Amino acid sequence: MRTQFLLSIAVITLLSGCANQTPTLSSGNVEYGDHKAVETLTNEFGSTDLQSIAQAMTNSLLQSPAVGAKQRPLVTIAEVKNRTSEYIDTKSITDTIRTKVMKSGLVRFAVDTSGMQTQTDEIVRQSQSGMYKKSMSKKIGQMEGADFRIEGTITSIVKQTDDVKDVYYKFSLQLIDNESGVMEWADEKEIRKTSTKSMF
Amino acid sequence: MSIHTRKLTLALAITLAFSGCSVMRSYDDELKQTVDLVSQGEVSQALQQLDSNNTGNDKDLLYYFEKGTLQRFDNKYKDSVITWLSADHLVNEWENEAKIRAGAILENIGAVTLNDKTRRYDGHDYEKVMLSTQLALDHLLNGDWDYARTEIKKTHEREAIIADVRAKETDAIEKESREKGIGTTFKNLNGYPVETLNSPEITSLKNGYQSAFSHYLAGFVYEALDEPSLAAAGYRQAIELRPNIKMLEDGLAGLDSRPHQHKPNETDVLMVVESGVAPSLSSVMIPIPVIYKGLGVIPISFPVLHSDPTRTNTPLTVAIDNANTQPLSMVTSLDAMSKRALKDDMPGIILRGILRAAIKGASQQALMHSNNGYAMLAGVALNVANVITESADERTWRTLPSTISVARFSIPTGKHEFTLGLNKKTLDINGAHALIVARVINNQVYWSQPIYGAKMPANIIAPPAPQIEPEIIPKSVSKKVRKSSTKKRSKK
Repeated sequence: MRTQFLLSIAVITLLSGCANQTPTLSSGNVEYGDHKAVETLTNEFGSTDLQSIAQAMTNSLLQSPAVGAKQRPLVTIAEVKNRTSEYIDTKSITDTIRTKVMKSGLVRFAVDTSGMQTQTDEIVRQSQSGMYKKSMSKKIGQMEGADFRIEGTITSIVKQTDDVKDVYYKFSLQLIDNESGVMEWADEKEIRKTSTKSMF
Repeated sequence: MSIHTRKLTLALAITLAFSGCSVMRSYDDELKQTVDLVSQGEVSQALQQLDSNNTGNDKDLLYYFEKGTLQRFDNKYKDSVITWLSADHLVNEWENEAKIRAGAILENIGAVTLNDKTRRYDGHDYEKVMLSTQLALDHLLNGDWDYARTEIKKTHEREAIIADVRAKETDAIEKESREKGIGTTFKNLNGYPVETLNSPEITSLKNGYQSAFSHYLAGFVYEALDEPSLAAAGYRQAIELRPNIKMLEDGLAGLDSRPHQHKPNETDVLMVVESGVAPSLSSVMIPIPVIYKGLGVIPISFPVLHSDPTRTNTPLTVAIDNANTQPLSMVTSLDAMSKRALKDDMPGIILRGILRAAIKGASQQALMHSNNGYAMLAGVALNVANVITESADERTWRTLPSTISVARFSIPTGKHEFTLGLNKKTLDINGAHALIVARVINNQVYWSQPIYGAKMPANIIAPPAPQIEPEIIPKSVSKKVRKSSTKKRSKK
């Protein structure tokens, strides 16, 4: 009896295992790759550069005394100016840095200027549209000002001969105390990429 | 007749039979009529005429190129987008193939034995890039700024693919011509109008596919979408492509200050004036010495570009409400870009032409020197066929403009009368940023009224005024909101 019971459990488990398997649809031409794989397809700014800059800056920022001096300081991200001729989405870099820093739990982030309009619209909607309970809606005038702001630049120097192209990137980031204007931390990450003719 | 020559003749005959219409089609003749109709303001007739010249089910890239432009003239932005997305699909197929087969320059036997018209029309490089730019303009006119951003991003990616493909192709042509001992410099083509491809305006261009206008537009859209790091790159690339143009330099210089100077009731307007039509292509026949000794010369056709200055009336200023006159800066010449593109394509065209001359010469001689009477007759027929079918590829996107000029100014939101030359039009200007497009062909001006709507991002068009009590409005809420709220109170 017990054997029969165990057998039926085993059969059900096996069958349910089959049913839960997700079918794969594939033409055989598309594969998922490692998102952390080193990309050297061209010498333009790429995913590996973004990841290495974000990692280096996060590590450095979290070791800064300014971050540890205050209990979970509130930080906002200002602009990282792109001074290259390449279409580099610097917001994507700062988004990655912010995510990594947030995960450390040492810092909180206030909404930045690019998200301010959405923030304002949401508060106005909650407090003024008449659609929300007054006791449950968020009030205007309760936003917290950030203790620090992060800003920076990315620059590049490109040199090219008939056979070789050399690209040098420098990403600089600073942490500035919003009240005192004192720069509390700064760091740079440099990247050099050289390619031969077949690549450019 | 040797087995080799028989095979060659058979290949020639098969190619001739199968290539049929495309060999004899004169695209320039077809489009002359279309352009004439557009010049007279007859867009509907031009569309009908275009359709009557393309009755088959399998439409080619050029059909979609031209049709999308005509639909834009008619202010049918959505139809134009649909048509140009069909073209985009074909360009996308080319991109996917080109990445794999870049450098396979002689793979199309039809092009070698007959003429370049037998090649599938993949579009010139500047046309592929301009397609994305024109799609972006359509989306902006339709109020779809996010879709416009997608097209602009696609433009950068397309330019990178073209650069890669052309670099590989250039290497392959150099290698092939070196191995066969063939010179591919167009200056050595005796009788070719070298001056059409050799002016400083053409040689000073970085390449034949990147335009300052496309990159300035990218800067404008990224700026409007509050992405200054990308906007800076757009403005910077525009300056690099067309240096010393104040209007382009101001785009970059004012990037940081413009948001602070912007007034809530004003609109930052980018006015785009497209003038004339792109140059036409015709053939010039040049006798080419056959690379095999003793085979004499064979006439081979080469493409020549002809500008159309009579249709190009590039305005220098635009007047707003008969008072405010703004300068228009010519930032892109598609006339020069198309010539630069042809100049860069000439080594490949010459290589294919010289090989074609060799094949034609060899097959003709084999038939003419045969003891068989029928073969000799076939040789004469082949000679005649060679002359009839020899024609350069005249296909090119003719309804593209010859030049693109831009002006940028801030004006109060609302209706304004714009004047280009003697032509006036009242347009509704709305939102923080707006785009106006005008197309001038001869004295005809096609104005595009932008559509404003819900698809515009919050920072492009101001959000609807909420009902706010003035004493609790934070400073960040726009003045427009305060004004609206105050009005409501006064009514009470």
